[in-house]
Amino acid sequence: MQAAPSTYSKVYKLLAKEEFINNAKLGKVLARKCTRCGYLHLATTYFCQNCGNKTFENAIIEGKGTIMTYTIITVSPEGYEKYIPYAWVVMKLDKTDLRISGFMGGIKSPADLPLGTKAKMTGYDERGIIIEKL
Amino acid sequence: MEKVCVIGAGSTKYGKLQDSITDIALQASVDALESAGIEPKKIQAGYISNVFGIADKQVHLGPVIMSNLGIPEVPSLSIESACGSGSISFREAYANVAAGFYDVVLATGVEKVTHTGTEWTTTYFSYCSDFFYEGGAGASFPGLFASMARAYLAEFKATEEDLAMVAVKNHDNGFLNPKAHLRKKITVDDVLKSAIVASPLKLYDCCPFSDGASAVILCNEKFAKTHSKNYIEVIGSGRGGSPAALQGREHITTIPSTKIAAQAAYKMAGVTPKDIDFAEVHDCFTIAELVDTEDLGFFEKGEAVEALRQGRTRLNGDIPINPSGGLKSKGHPIGATGIGQVVEVFDQLTGKAGERTVKDAKIGLTHNFGATGASCAVHIFKSV
Repeated sequence: MQAAPSTYSKVYKLLAKEEFINNAKLGKVLARKCTRCGYLHLATTYFCQNCGNKTFENAIIEGKGTIMTYTIITVSPEGYEKYIPYAWVVMKLDKTDLRISGFMGGIKSPADLPLGTKAKMTGYDERGIIIEKL
Repeated sequence: MEKVCVIGAGSTKYGKLQDSITDIALQASVDALESAGIEPKKIQAGYISNVFGIADKQVHLGPVIMSNLGIPEVPSLSIESACGSGSISFREAYANVAAGFYDVVLATGVEKVTHTGTEWTTTYFSYCSDFFYEGGAGASFPGLFASMARAYLAEFKATEEDLAMVAVKNHDNGFLNPKAHLRKKITVDDVLKSAIVASPLKLYDCCPFSDGASAVILCNEKFAKTHSKNYIEVIGSGRGGSPAALQGREHITTIPSTKIAAQAAYKMAGVTPKDIDFAEVHDCFTIAELVDTEDLGFFEKGEAVEALRQGRTRLNGDIPINPSGGLKSKGHPIGATGIGQVVEVFDQLTGKAGERTVKDAKIGLTHNFGATGASCAVHIFKSV
């Protein structure tokens, strides 16, 4: 008789980062909606932050939103030197309370990116989650 | 619970140090023991905070320090909580003495990174973020705080000059601190003209990468009364957490863990922010001091800037903030910083702070967090 998978492995499989990344590459945010209270989380959570429940259903959200804040990096971590200057941005997703952050190339000065600019997720690569201006 | 006291405190100079991580940790520990006037044999446990021991080829620092103090049989705990390691380690030391497990313990914090250079430190420090979303998308630590700064400046009509004034104030204080890393006065213009690191933050908005070690001796009240005439009491201890990533927070201009930790510490101490005579807060970047002093309840949200402009947070103001010079000027050896803040409070409340003494101070507060405030500890002390 085969042993039943542990709760941990079941949860882990559901929350594989690959699934999140595959969606990010399509410009979508894979969120997890609590089946008890409906609270939305990014994929990488194991228990509901609002009610403690541990079952979720997938919610695929359009990766479009508004720039809440950002920085323009001129002294970078290793591997990002060739992209300087670039922005790291926090975007509020449309129609939800969720926010997502990521890399935005081609930003040289604050004039290039007023707060409130509309933007969208466009992919995921060695730079992390990629966000571009709409 | 036992009342917990701090009976000794010691620190190396903060800055670029030549000695090894073990040596500087020992120098601070020995200073703290001598300050307390006790032999190492009295120590029953060690709490050692450090983040990047790997950079100086020594992790598992606890037993190495205990062995070098001649007490290899004494248990120790090595603690990493990013830039909050020191205060979070102090909390563990406090809790164990309060619970009655030990009568006397040593809490030592240490960091040795400057020999690795800016690229290594910028990269490795970024591992303290929620890496998938932040460091792994090109965010440096200055960049994360710069994002908080841009949101704050927009929301509260503050300016980059206001941020610069935080740096100027803390350098004025650090100038009076013989152990400060950047012991020089600067002007608003110096800050504004310094190189941009992560817009809108410039080099002088950022604390330096520092080496350094700090240590304190904690004990129960009975031991303090029989072994010391000049000590302070821990009257409040609070911890809190925040979503690890900035994107997880509804408001980017406040740090939830600070509020949670502060409320717990105030409640335990039976005091309010108005009772605090001075505070050492986590000013890793100028923006952080503004956010911290609001989250700690010294000022309403958005009003820290006006308080700063009025000089209320200067050494001679009604609520001096960072009399030591803070992380900004005294320096930020990340594993030591939280312990270093306790050293400053000890020095202030036992008459050892020299020229930077806060007049008539009886109650001091320390506030230290890890990363962008994902973890936080607040402690409140009173003179005895």
